[in-house]
Amino acid sequence: METRITRRRPLLRTVALAGVAAAAVALSGCSGGASSGPTTITFSYLWGGEEAKALEKVIADFNKSQSAIKVVGVSSPDAQKQLTSMSSSNGSFDISDNFGNTVGSWASKGILAPLDDYLKTEKVDLDGFAPAALDQMKYEGKTYALPIAVHTQQLMYNKDLLDKAGVQPPTTMDELADAVKKLTVTDADGAITQIGLGNPSASTLFTTLGYAFGGTWDGKNGKTPTPDDPKNVEALDWYAKTLTDTYGADKIATFTSGLGQYMSAQDPFYTGKEAMVIDGEWQAVNIPKVAPNLNWGVVDIPAASPELAGTTQVTTSTLFIPSNSKHKAEAAKFLAYIVGDKPMTDFTLALGNLPSKTSLLTASAYGDIPHFDSWLKALTSKNAKSLASQPYSAQYSTDLATAFDDVVRGVASPEKALSSVADKARSY
Amino acid sequence: MSLMTAKRGARRQTLLGLAFASPFIIGAAVFIVWPVIASAGYSFTDFNLFQAPSWVGLDNYAHMLQDSTFWKALANTLFLTVTGVPLTIAISILGAHFLNLPVRGQPLYRALVYLPTIVPIVVGGYLWRWLLNTQYGFVNYFLGLLHLPQPEWLEQPAWGKPAILLMCLWTIGGTMIIYLAAIKDVPSELYEAAELDGAGWWGRFRFITWPTISPVTLFQVIVTVIAYLQIFTQPYLLTQTRLNEASGGPGQSMISYAMYLYQNAFVFLKMGYASAMAWVLFLITLVITLLLLWSSKKWVHYGSERS
Repeated sequence: METRITRRRPLLRTVALAGVAAAAVALSGCSGGASSGPTTITFSYLWGGEEAKALEKVIADFNKSQSAIKVVGVSSPDAQKQLTSMSSSNGSFDISDNFGNTVGSWASKGILAPLDDYLKTEKVDLDGFAPAALDQMKYEGKTYALPIAVHTQQLMYNKDLLDKAGVQPPTTMDELADAVKKLTVTDADGAITQIGLGNPSASTLFTTLGYAFGGTWDGKNGKTPTPDDPKNVEALDWYAKTLTDTYGADKIATFTSGLGQYMSAQDPFYTGKEAMVIDGEWQAVNIPKVAPNLNWGVVDIPAASPELAGTTQVTTSTLFIPSNSKHKAEAAKFLAYIVGDKPMTDFTLALGNLPSKTSLLTASAYGDIPHFDSWLKALTSKNAKSLASQPYSAQYSTDLATAFDDVVRGVASPEKALSSVADKARSY
Repeated sequence: MSLMTAKRGARRQTLLGLAFASPFIIGAAVFIVWPVIASAGYSFTDFNLFQAPSWVGLDNYAHMLQDSTFWKALANTLFLTVTGVPLTIAISILGAHFLNLPVRGQPLYRALVYLPTIVPIVVGGYLWRWLLNTQYGFVNYFLGLLHLPQPEWLEQPAWGKPAILLMCLWTIGGTMIIYLAAIKDVPSELYEAAELDGAGWWGRFRFITWPTISPVTLFQVIVTVIAYLQIFTQPYLLTQTRLNEASGGPGQSMISYAMYLYQNAFVFLKMGYASAMAWVLFLITLVITLLLLWSSKKWVHYGSERS
């Protein structure tokens, strides 16, 4: 007993010494970071694989171009981790990326640093960006993010299938309905073997159709959910009448469940199981790689009435600076660089995305991608719309997805499904 | 050794003991007790994780009453509990009997039944997503071989919950092994006596095995009920979409209470509402557990009280 107590003292001393040593090591680590030389900023991004490689090249170019700032890129595809890192006073990154629909929610909670002053210092011209894309970057008059890449939706069609059925690419909703009818093939039991209009993502298809019928999802002011806008109901009714009611929701579900994976060689549009589909520009880059023999074309989304011609939905990939960054000015310098003409062209080309600046839309670099010009052109359309980016957006899109799912499965009429979202939206 | 030194030694021993226990005491206080108290406070506020909470009184609790997704999630969870718990108990007892048969290679069979429990649950989740895939999945492949209908497991609202149950019951090995130990503990002279009285296999189970293992059953029922009320990982993995988006499966057929709580907390950033939901779930769990304990007087038999 006695010996154990006496022996404890040297042990304590050892522990204390070890603690001091550890603290010393930690301190020296800190002072190393604060020494003179370039300021190091961390760019944490959700991209991975090929896209991360393209981004790393842009980062390397920036680091070479100047000596004051060193950007370290980290691929971190965990969106939840990204969010929690921004909730502490000491963040783990100075610049990061997400999608346009999170800007409003994050800005309203003080997660994002307002960029306007930095953009003035760095002389970034906001007028150069596509208006529909820029709408999502703002909250209560301030800019909280910049679009690095954008996406539009267009109607793609399988030329061989249209020729076989004697159908011209549709330009109006009535023509589209007629084309769907001629291009949907059923066997003797009524089972669908080929569908006129594919539906890879009900959320994208239905919100886009809403716009194409002249509807709006966030009111005239872009601040309040208007799911049951009569034009939205009309759009979903058009879908229900053209597909669900005609062929049976269960028949469509059975057909859909047997389809191959999206964007793979078995993608139903690539294999001719879907004759037409409304989809984004990334398909133009993917098809030559995965389905080089597909004979396809692309046209504007058919208009419900002439003034709605050229309707498309714009979605954005954003870059932002978190409020807890210790190096906002340096991060803004890099942000200004990456939305510059050359880095943006390099990066969007590597990803097969559209540039967000209208001046780049005619850049020759995009000319090599088949049919890419159709999506590029859509970006400048006066009917290019985007969903609002408001604090309620995450919950709204979840509730809309549930309502769209009900319509696809034929368990609720478009009017009922959308008015149930309106009920929920009252308590957002 | 004088009295003084002995006293000092005892105090030192107490302090030493507390020092050794301090990692747990501090850990529990900081990471368990305090968050529990804090969540009760947050449940009366509007709190988004990033800004200071603001007091809203009972608003969060009142909102639950008119939140249709809340009721859907609660109904799904209760359905899974009401079907999952009896299935778990029945299959475990049946399986334990098979694992108790004196056949060659029995240790191997026991190991095989227990094996899925060792597989990390996230790995299991992705595995089942593929097994249940309509086009490439083995489940439908074998159903096809048997000329049985091949449901679209994760696409049809009617089949979402059976898919979750299937995935949960896959890891039933742990419960089964505990039952096996319980069955092995039933005194064999009771069976001999029953046989002399002419009891068949059902009589032996009904009047000997079932009452004797009933304390184990009570424990298993409570533990399994709590596990089902909190079910999260299985439905979350089976319905997961991309990034941080909330999903509840077709027609919200697979959204569980804990999933909706998580979505409110970390996707919609409504931490106050999520905290209120957590407390309601706690109260539901408490009431059900107390009811089970109260009912146990009627059907649980302890060896020490009898004979």
